[in-house]
Amino acid sequence: MEILRAEKLEKIYEDNGVPVHAVRGIDLKINKGDYTVIAGPSGSGKTTLLNLLGALDKPTSGKIFFENEDITTKTKSELSQIRLNKLGFIFQAYNLIPVLTALENIEFSMMLLNIPEKERKEKALNLMDELGIKELANKRPNEMSGGQQQRVAVTRAIVNNPSIVLADEPTANLDSETAGNLLSLMEKMNSDKNITFIFSSHDQQVIERAKKLIILKDGKIQN
Amino acid sequence: MLWKLAWRNIWRNKRRSLIVLVSIVIGMAALIFFDGFSNGMMQQMLSNQISSNISHIQIHKKGFNDNKIIKNILPDRQKVEQILKENAQVKFFSERVITFGLLSSASSSSGIYLYGIKPGAEEKISKIKTSIVEGNYLSDAKRDILIGKKLAEKLNVGLGDKVVAMANTPDGSIGSDVFRVTGIFETFSSEFDRSTIYISEQTAQNMLGIDNETLEFAMIIEDFKKVDEVKANLQLKLGDEYEVLSYKDLLPMIIFSMDIYQESMFIFNLIIGLALIFGIINTMLMSVFERINEFGVLMAMGMKNSRLFFMIVLEAFIIGIVGTIVGLIVGILIHIPLSHSGIDFSLFAEGLESFGVGAIIYPILSLGNLISMIFLIPFISVAGALYPAYRAIKLEPVYAINYV
Repeated sequence: MEILRAEKLEKIYEDNGVPVHAVRGIDLKINKGDYTVIAGPSGSGKTTLLNLLGALDKPTSGKIFFENEDITTKTKSELSQIRLNKLGFIFQAYNLIPVLTALENIEFSMMLLNIPEKERKEKALNLMDELGIKELANKRPNEMSGGQQQRVAVTRAIVNNPSIVLADEPTANLDSETAGNLLSLMEKMNSDKNITFIFSSHDQQVIERAKKLIILKDGKIQN
Repeated sequence: MLWKLAWRNIWRNKRRSLIVLVSIVIGMAALIFFDGFSNGMMQQMLSNQISSNISHIQIHKKGFNDNKIIKNILPDRQKVEQILKENAQVKFFSERVITFGLLSSASSSSGIYLYGIKPGAEEKISKIKTSIVEGNYLSDAKRDILIGKKLAEKLNVGLGDKVVAMANTPDGSIGSDVFRVTGIFETFSSEFDRSTIYISEQTAQNMLGIDNETLEFAMIIEDFKKVDEVKANLQLKLGDEYEVLSYKDLLPMIIFSMDIYQESMFIFNLIIGLALIFGIINTMLMSVFERINEFGVLMAMGMKNSRLFFMIVLEAFIIGIVGTIVGLIVGILIHIPLSHSGIDFSLFAEGLESFGVGAIIYPILSLGNLISMIFLIPFISVAGALYPAYRAIKLEPVYAINYV
């Protein structure tokens, strides 16, 4: 079942007054349950494409249909609502809120959906237990390793049952063993919970595990 | 959870937050001190004037206040006395003969205000009896005279010394009498002490040839807040032949000063507020710029602009509330002992006494100003956070996430 579709997607942004054509006429389709990796060398437009698909940025031209609805015409507030209800994000630098504990970081996503405190705490703890990170509940980010932080970030990304999780270079700051474990965790969630994942990465481990691979070069799909 | 996050965000940079908090605490404590001091000085000035000789309300023949001559005797003293006795709001009253004159000693002479008073009644409406620093209070004895300390120094006289008082009589001749200094008084006003003498009313009437006549009724009322109401009532009953003046009419400069004080408090609050607001804007801007990346993540997670805006304003509000509470405690802890012991301004006593203020000023806090201060600081804090919060919500998520 199609969940996300891009049509003739273009993105030109300015870098110090110089126009940069980061995405050039991309057409793609993501189905529910896909485990997709967008790969390519640095500067190929991976992150720009991921930001467009994740409703974080607007294309210069072209259309993006999310659950059959054109999101390129949506307002900032409507895009915010889509991200809150339908999308989860995982970043290269983990980006947990440093003053909150692991549990609170996970709860925070649910707080934005106005889920009552008791319910969100219970749900967060259950999910942490399921993903084997319950013992990190009361630790703040600076008390955790990179791998632990990224596992918390993954938990935060999926806690609201998003339609798609977008992960931008999620293993870039991790050693290969930790990266492998993290990828296994995400693979398991993909297969067990049918969560759709879109990665942007040039990490070979990530690329090897892709069920669908999109190779970008100079803003264009190569394969 | 947003409150928890806002609170923890404040303490990310402890030193910076503490500097802002301390500046708010100092600002708040300074406002409380300045308000207490200024208000205390004004109230003291007013209360000293009322208790020295002004009283709450005075009644004269119409025109007396502008032309204090002996000819302006009250048209019907019995009528006035009767009306005052019938008015339940009038607590104490006394009558006075008042005129300008000259007081001479063996070595010098000085222009004076001569007050002919009924000693028993006068002590209930003024503090002249308790202001005696040497000798005794006035009796009805013919030769008794009370003079101010400064006047005694000027005339170089002491207790028991002979002085001669002279003043115009209604027919234009000069009335005079010889007195022996019975008591020397010292009030909060050096000007008053330099220019005032008290003798008994009967002696003054005899000296000035106005038997059984008087020039002024002065009174203390039960509730001085009702002074305008009582004044209007008395004026209505007495008619146009009389002038009924409240302390507000008699002390226009002090009332004006009190109004000016309220204005100056507003300006002072504004200055402190402006200093604080720029401090808060600066702190919140630094705090926002440090967290651009984090705001990007929050936006990516779907946090709405309104919520992000609220979170930043909330941080400033909490700083303002904490600063206000601590500043209030510090300010009141400074105020309470000073309000009992007073602030000693002996070094400036001469200057203060010429304004009718004692050398020791007792701060008084006005509840209205205190309440406005309690609301002012958190309001300023919120106002100071508006621009930084606006800057934060204007960020594009993709720019913010990638901001280094």
